[in-house]
Amino acid sequence: MSQRSFTSIVSALVIISLCSLVPASNVKASQNTVVSAELDARSAIAVAEQRIVVCYQAVADADRAGANTSTLLTVLNEAGESLSRAKLAYKMGDFDSALSYGLETQTKLDGFVESADSLRATAIQQHNWDFMINVVGSIVGTIAVICVSSVVWIILKKRVLRLEA
Amino acid sequence: MTSHHQYSILFAICTLVVALLVASPALSRLLVFPRNEFFTELWILDSNHATQNYPFNITLNRDYNVFLGIANHLGYSAYYLVEVKLRNQTQSAPNSFSHTSSTLPPLFNITAIVADEGIREQPLTFSFGYQHNELLSQVELNSLMLNHVGLDLMNNTIAWNPGKSEFRCDLFFELWIYDTTTNSFKYHERYVSLRLNMTV
Repeated sequence: MSQRSFTSIVSALVIISLCSLVPASNVKASQNTVVSAELDARSAIAVAEQRIVVCYQAVADADRAGANTSTLLTVLNEAGESLSRAKLAYKMGDFDSALSYGLETQTKLDGFVESADSLRATAIQQHNWDFMINVVGSIVGTIAVICVSSVVWIILKKRVLRLEA
Repeated sequence: MTSHHQYSILFAICTLVVALLVASPALSRLLVFPRNEFFTELWILDSNHATQNYPFNITLNRDYNVFLGIANHLGYSAYYLVEVKLRNQTQSAPNSFSHTSSTLPPLFNITAIVADEGIREQPLTFSFGYQHNELLSQVELNSLMLNHVGLDLMNNTIAWNPGKSEFRCDLFFELWIYDTTTNSFKYHERYVSLRLNMTV
């Protein structure tokens, strides 16, 4: 075999080997993409779930303080719906949609805890004022009515006795 | 009775009435009967918000409307999860006597966070895609659309019930509640269900 033909054969073999590696590396790359998408979706869902729990606890505290939480509950329930769709998409293998819904859930809850805490603080302050005016004021007013009535009664009685005398 | 005595009584009554009026805001806050019943209500109503026209005979790909409602009387805001499940007559069902849920996996979860003494009502629109296998005398469920979301029915089949002459399945909704001590959902021992007959 001549030097030239040997070189040609070796070159052809190298080219064929390189060509067979390319599809295998593409498959591996796409598998890595799928695994990465699944991980991203799972992570987004887990974060969204945790955030909903934290927001629920914040709105529960605000509700306990007597705040009107109807607006916050609407937002929280919408976020819950997005999370449900994220979980369904994940279960069906649609990781892109799952990730999208998971991120949408998180976005909807931006600033939620701060709003809930603000409502709670306002409700506590209002409750304190309400207690001062309605309860303490009412008790003081009742005592004042009784005292003034007693004084008036004593004055009138002395006057009547003086007149009778 | 002397007029002096009459005026005394009248003065005392007027003082008492005025004192009660002034004290009424405080009394309304202090004299509150404690609540001793804590529970959750779960209901399902037909498209007219009544209980008479529930969907039963199901037609292929036709939309049916119902309303699922939750009322919270637990004394605190609650985080509920309604698990939507579908069963044929051989599959696991929730049990009211043993207070256990069905072992079937949920097709979908509906989230509902409800304030104390609050009500949340969710309109539901569903439709079924299925085909009749005459050879095996069964209905093969292909799809369930719930509020325009396609659910995976996992190749569920419904056998013919010769006693009742129907292809019967139950679409039911189990109520779960978030437990802050265990940080997980637990079955709240309530469910509602729709008995359905797939017409062919």
